Amino acid sequence: MTQLIVDIADMKISDNPADTLITYSLGSCLGVAIYDPVLRLGAMVHCMLPLSKVDKEKAKIRPYMFVDTGLQQMLTKLYESGMRKARAVVNVAGGSQVLDSQGVFKIGERNFTVLRKILWKNGLLMNAQEVGGNKSRTVSLEIATGRFYIKSGGKTIYYDLP
Amino acid sequence: MTYRDRIEEHIANFPKMPPLCQSLLGYLDDPDVDFKTIRNLVQYDPGLTANVLKLANSVYLGTVQEISSLQAALVRLGTRRVFELVLSLAVSTRLVPALPGYGLEARDLLRHSIWTAVAAQELARILQMKNVDTVFTVGLLHDLGLLLLDPFIAGERDRFTLIFEEQSISFNTAEREVLGIDHAEAGAGILELWQLGPEIVSGVRWHHEPAEASCFQELIYLIHLADMLSLSEGIGTGIYGLQYNVSAEPVRALGLKKEHLEYAASKTLDKMRELETILT
Repeated sequence: MTQLIVDIADMKISDNPADTLITYSLGSCLGVAIYDPVLRLGAMVHCMLPLSKVDKEKAKIRPYMFVDTGLQQMLTKLYESGMRKARAVVNVAGGSQVLDSQGVFKIGERNFTVLRKILWKNGLLMNAQEVGGNKSRTVSLEIATGRFYIKSGGKTIYYDLP
Repeated sequence: MTYRDRIEEHIANFPKMPPLCQSLLGYLDDPDVDFKTIRNLVQYDPGLTANVLKLANSVYLGTVQEISSLQAALVRLGTRRVFELVLSLAVSTRLVPALPGYGLEARDLLRHSIWTAVAAQELARILQMKNVDTVFTVGLLHDLGLLLLDPFIAGERDRFTLIFEEQSISFNTAEREVLGIDHAEAGAGILELWQLGPEIVSGVRWHHEPAEASCFQELIYLIHLADMLSLSEGIGTGIYGLQYNVSAEPVRALGLKKEHLEYAASKTLDKMRELETILT
């Protein structure tokens, strides 16, 4: 088994059944995994911030930093690799936040709002979602099985294909 | 003997500042010392000189012209900033090892510290704040206390888990509840013994309770917000995750908006990666 690490502001795609895609320490960031069970094709992205308009220059170099440009690019790559929308299984984790009564640090919540809009526009539904709270999460996607793992606070739970 | 007593003993026995930093610090307030003396001290180590220049150009990029020699660094940045660069290089290696008590892997604390230092600088730039030169150094040092408290946290892991299951409190409050001292106070204790001056000591001491500080507020506010942004982005989150309180005072006083935070975060990631290679 090979672990392909998805760094912050990065995306990895694979159809090699020996691969597991993993991203560590999601705080307010979102980890989104999309899988096509027929092709056994999966991708995972680790987005930091909701909208690319905050820093358009950076979005050109690092599109996966932002949920809007990151998801668009990821979906484009998956469709180019043959994924069909009807088969896509979408799993999401992250979107936590620090204890902030002022609301300026609600980056996680804003990330998730943008993600839901994009998925809705693309006609995609979420399978598993574990979003919010103030825990850090590590998620992984097994390419052979499509199983999605969320590790947080010493506990691991997993979601199989629907 | 209470935990606090034992931790205070550890602070007193914490390794001294590296000898070169001690010598440099001794010269900082001496009006009779010229650049040549300081230059000779640093240049004795060519590797260090090269790294000081790389760091100077990376940290102060955009604020001064490219710096190609130690002499130029001393002239353009001043002896205090050059000292802080040498100190940053010396301390950063200590931030590399894993801290099992806090649940941090190797390099997690280093990355968290660099992120905080860079984000604090970015926020200062975005909010057009002046006179916060020390912000990078304080950002890098702000969690030094973790090194000291880690074994005590490891010994009391079950109590910390229980506290978090029962209440939603900031992790530094939990540290004080269990150990009688938090990592901010412990870190400031070390830096006080190193005689780094009230600005750096206060910056570290109050980074989780910025409203309690009686001086250097702007610097402390920046460190607090940058630290919260770092945890928020998942950089160096251990067993505490994102369980820290954002103080309302800095947000209000600096007129901080979500766009400021997001812009600072977008600028910080690549800079953190660049500095990580220079600092270790």
